[in-house]
Amino acid sequence: MRLLLIEDDSAVSAYVARGLTEAGHICDVLHDGTDGLFHATRESYDVLVVDRMLPGLDGLSLVRALRAAGVRVPVLFLTALGGIDDRVTGLEAGGDDYLTKPFAFAELMARVNALARRPPVQDIQTTLRVADLELDMLTRQARRAGQNIDLLPKEFTLLEVLMRNAGRIVTRTMLLERVWDFHFDPKTSVVETHISRLRAKIDKPFDVALLQTVKNAGYMLHAPR
Amino acid sequence: MRPADLMRRTSFRLALGVTLFVVSALVLASALSYNLLRQQLLTRQDARIIEIYTALQQTSLTGEVQDLVEAIATRITASPDRSTVFLLRAPDGQVLAANIPDVWVKPGWSTVDATVVDVPTDYPFRMFAGSLAGYSVIVGLTDADLDDLAEISLTAFGWSALAVMVIAIGAGALIASQVQSRISEVEATLHSVAHGDLTARLAVSRQGNDLDLIATAINSALARLGSVVDAMRQVSADIAHDLRTPLNRLRIHIEAADQPAALAEIDSIGQTFSALLRIAQIESGTPAETFTRLDVAAVLASVADVYAEVATDADMILTCHADAALWIMGDKGLLTQAFANLIENALRHCPPGTVITCEAAAFGDHATATIRDNGHGIPEAERDKVLRRLYRLEKSRTTEGSGLGLALVKAVSDAHGAVLVLDDADPGLIVRLSFPLATA
Repeated sequence: MRLLLIEDDSAVSAYVARGLTEAGHICDVLHDGTDGLFHATRESYDVLVVDRMLPGLDGLSLVRALRAAGVRVPVLFLTALGGIDDRVTGLEAGGDDYLTKPFAFAELMARVNALARRPPVQDIQTTLRVADLELDMLTRQARRAGQNIDLLPKEFTLLEVLMRNAGRIVTRTMLLERVWDFHFDPKTSVVETHISRLRAKIDKPFDVALLQTVKNAGYMLHAPR
Repeated sequence: MRPADLMRRTSFRLALGVTLFVVSALVLASALSYNLLRQQLLTRQDARIIEIYTALQQTSLTGEVQDLVEAIATRITASPDRSTVFLLRAPDGQVLAANIPDVWVKPGWSTVDATVVDVPTDYPFRMFAGSLAGYSVIVGLTDADLDDLAEISLTAFGWSALAVMVIAIGAGALIASQVQSRISEVEATLHSVAHGDLTARLAVSRQGNDLDLIATAINSALARLGSVVDAMRQVSADIAHDLRTPLNRLRIHIEAADQPAALAEIDSIGQTFSALLRIAQIESGTPAETFTRLDVAAVLASVADVYAEVATDADMILTCHADAALWIMGDKGLLTQAFANLIENALRHCPPGTVITCEAAAFGDHATATIRDNGHGIPEAERDKVLRRLYRLEKSRTTEGSGLGLALVKAVSDAHGAVLVLDDADPGLIVRLSFPLATA
């Protein structure tokens, strides 16, 4: 996919751009807000990665201007501000996700991937399917190989997030945010515990495991290859 | 405003006090003037009696007894309503002239009831009894005016008291409402400041009165507070930026060098730093802006639900009793983190087998969230200290943890106007957070 990274710190931008390129993406890098806005409106990108503090035009104003101009490209904010309101402000300005520095590259990559292939809003799927695992969004029923699986409400949400991102890594932080609405780092193994409970229900009784742990990155649900 | 509230207002009480004072002054003045007037009328009455008596005395001195009888008879005729009464008694006791029954009246001045002299009037008679050339003479007078006076005075007092009260209450209410509106303005402004709006200022009129002086003083204090908070925010934003950016670069180098231990170390630095900054932001923040009406029992229940399985894996039991909705004004994210920190503290510091109980219940006008464990507890002397930043019970600081968990809980509690109490669960620790319930 084609990405635009607008980040004034050259060490960070070089590293991120290299990582993205190595992962097989095309990544344009700009260091100034005004230039960034100009490029983002003229060119067509799959995802924008925008730093909040930029010379020329700050990240928030840039994204507001983009949205006002009708550009709907997904935006991931990078920020050195980790304030309580900063995340909300960023999302209100039209950002789609938010990542606080210092971040791991794997985290950035996972979030960019999740943003890029997000299905359009009107295309609401009523049944999510990965291999023989099915999730009926209307009856809120999970089924694998024809067998019904009873899930607790939060386990259902956890599985839903994983299935919507099937084939892609979902990080621990992403799960905390999306499943439990936790915007902080717990000191106990919350995610691990719930993942293991989910595994016991969707994978353990069956031959093939669908839910994989990706070392130092997160979790991924995918059909056997 | 409810009447009970009104009564507590200084300005209203002052107005009421002034009215009471004015009315009592009026009562005193009326009583005084009533007495003076009555004294005057009495003196006049006595003077008229003496005048008549002197005339009769003249008659008795210059003429015969018959002349005196005739003079009295003439005077009796002149007073058909018997407002003036006479009695002339000869030395042998025979009544020579009278318009009253033969009664004995003590010599000199006296006051007798109308029934004594058999006159159909409600007013008493003033009598003077004397002796002229051996003949006993009684002259009496009743004065309707004198006793009407009481009624007249009372009526006059009633009306003037009413007028004074209306004017005093009206003027008092006017002044009170003017003062009250200024005071309410100060109240409203300080209330919005307390809820985070540091740009709120009081209006200062050109009169330069005492309230304006107070308003000016409050405004300058607010301006100072505002600039301090702005500076504080700017500093934390600067620190955040200037420290996170190099941390990010450092992390990149470490990640590239594939050093997992160093990576864990830098992530822990980043977390400590974020937690410190977050506490500072909560403490200096403007909470009201992000506050919404929320069910604190539901927040506690959902956090407890997240950790129930974590507790099971640690061989502990986590239960939650928070069924009834408890509405408060708050920030869901901050409360979630505070409850999570408290539960995680219990999970991390208690031995296996510990029972952790979460409860939410209303006590009076407060919603109290309680997290209790039956672990080791915290010694009483340490309970205040553990709320401080970076304070840890393990002096060696070798165990994991930043010592910021409870400091964050304290900051969140303060931001919500809640009361945070750490107590002995005997054994174990009990943490209570009491939030003011939201008004309906």
